[in-house]
Amino acid sequence: MIIPAASRTPEVAFSAQTCSFKGECYPEDISEFSAPIMEKLGSDVTAADSYQVDIELYYFNSSSAKFLFDLFEFLDLCAADNKQIGVTWRYRADDDTMQDAGDEFSEDLENLLFTMEKID
Amino acid sequence: MNTKSIQLHELMLSRGTFFCYSGPLSEEVLTSISAVVKEQLTDSKSDIAIKTKVFGIFIEQAQNIIRYSGSRVDKSGVGSVSISHTDSGFMLESVNEIISSDQQRIEEILGQLKGMDSDQLKAAYKERIKNGPPAGSTGAGLGFIEVARRSSSFDYAFEEHHGVRLFLYRGWVDTQ
Repeated sequence: MIIPAASRTPEVAFSAQTCSFKGECYPEDISEFSAPIMEKLGSDVTAADSYQVDIELYYFNSSSAKFLFDLFEFLDLCAADNKQIGVTWRYRADDDTMQDAGDEFSEDLENLLFTMEKID
Repeated sequence: MNTKSIQLHELMLSRGTFFCYSGPLSEEVLTSISAVVKEQLTDSKSDIAIKTKVFGIFIEQAQNIIRYSGSRVDKSGVGSVSISHTDSGFMLESVNEIISSDQQRIEEILGQLKGMDSDQLKAAYKERIKNGPPAGSTGAGLGFIEVARRSSSFDYAFEEHHGVRLFLYRGWVDTQ
């Protein structure tokens, strides 16, 4: 299932055990954007024994930061429950804001595997 | 009539203001104007890190106006946002009416943030994102912290003008 990118939201693509975000994220209405995603993740991650989330964002606003935090918190709880959960955070080589953001999110996650990946 | 047109043109040039929107601001309007700002920033010679910071501050300032401006037209908040070149980089500025009872809350948050170094701002950001706004406050806070972190420096002022209370909010992004 793919939610195509719009002018203010990223492309979100799902397979049975993966989810990827690519683009920018500053939606007009963060709940309208995030609710269906969290619902789908809720059921897919619960049903799987391993799950991978790839994130490649070039910009996200403060409301989206809260969404990402909640998403990682949910994934971390699932990982604490014996599931293999991985998150890959992709950032452009000269984008220190995105690099720092990934580092900061990962600092408070205890159970899932958080990987930083630099892209050119 | 030409005098005023020339005044506007020269004012923008003298301030190095290459983008300005003034009027009712809604999320729909922001969608359109943010596309323009993105285009202008794409053309500028600055690197990705700088452009992302400038764009980020712009979005937070605009969304502050949408949500909290004291002057409203339907669902839109009325105010002005502008982006200007400076000798050291960029300046982003927003001006909007606020209801006087909001001033104290804003002053408290921004006053605290102004005194923080980057480690303290990071801690404030993490606290806010994890625990939400403190009891008694409403929403806004993470956006202000975001601006404080992305800018090289920021400033704010409250002015009484023609009987309304105005909130002036500026962020600078230095390219060095």
